[in-house]
Amino acid sequence: MIIPVRCFTCGKLIGDLWEEFARRVKTGENASDILDSLGVKRYCCRRMLLSNVEIIDEILRFYEEAEKRKESQNLY
Amino acid sequence: MEIKILDKNATTMRLMIRGADVTLVNALRRIMLAEVPSMAIDEVVIIDNSSILQDEIIAHRLGLTPLKTDLDSYNLPGECECKSEFGCSLCRVTITLNAEANEGTRTVYSGELVSENPEIVPVSDKIPLIKLAKGQKLKLEAYARLGKGKNHAKWQPVSMCAYKYLPKIEIASEKCTGCAKCVEICPKKVFAIKADMVEVRDLLACNLCMDCVEACPQKPSPIKVSWEKNAFIMNIESTGVLPPERIIQEATKILDKQLKEFEEQVKVEVK
Ligand SMILES: [Zn+2]
Ligand SMILES: [Zn+2]
Repeated sequence: MIIPVRCFTCGKLIGDLWEEFARRVKTGENASDILDSLGVKRYCCRRMLLSNVEIIDEILRFYEEAEKRKESQNLY
Repeated sequence: MEIKILDKNATTMRLMIRGADVTLVNALRRIMLAEVPSMAIDEVVIIDNSSILQDEIIAHRLGLTPLKTDLDSYNLPGECECKSEFGCSLCRVTITLNAEANEGTRTVYSGELVSENPEIVPVSDKIPLIKLAKGQKLKLEAYARLGKGKNHAKWQPVSMCAYKYLPKIEIASEKCTGCAKCVEICPKKVFAIKADMVEVRDLLACNLCMDCVEACPQKPSPIKVSWEKNAFIMNIESTGVLPPERIIQEATKILDKQLKEFEEQVKVEVK
């Protein structure tokens, strides 16, 4: 759904690293190098970032669309 | 006992402990995991939530957000003089959040949490708590309390606390042919080749897996891996709630307190 706050296994805080990780992956950087530079050493924490999909973004689209429709109805 | 700090920064610390017993080092490790208190959100009152995440999920995410802890000015709820379930200003911190998306979809970060005590704030300002679409609202009041890791993992001040024996590697140099099989197989890159001979490059990295001994074509292998008695390397990684040196100091204090209590009980019973 949304990036978990902490690693499920060890409890390290990883939520605050997600946005930088996702941004740098998009620019084409190697994921393993990014994780190293962010100081995420253990593989339990690395999989948290590697395997996360922000499904919340997909769901929020419905609400954005609904909002747009509401606005266009108000215009006419 | 002899303690040496191998390396240390704001969240991690590596110690070499010589002349201690496993029982002592393990007791300290377990106390650090389960009994050193730290601050975490324990109760959440949701006033308004029109976001797409349920109240419980938001409360869970808030609970897991590590908060900077002040052990000197706060009491554990059970040990506080107020004796109330709700808590007082010495055992509870009120944190509020009032977020609304007016312009469009936005992320609400931990930095938006407003604490009544500016010292008790999330470790990082950039933890995404929730995403709100335009028009959605989230308003809540949360109460943070001190707690122990044995009651819930959110109160664990360490995300890693482990020790290992200090490795001891001996290489019978006259028998080693310098085939470099051990250099290749070692997952921790402990060995290096120098002048056609294998030498130990990074002793502390060794995790005693013995792959090098098995990979060596000579039987018996000229490499002998063992560990030193009563010498340990301890690794502490704090979640940021307390500095690692403070965590270990608190652990020793707690162990001391427990032993004193035990001693007193024994004295009372023997009489
Ligand atoms: Zn982890
Ligand atoms: Zn109190």
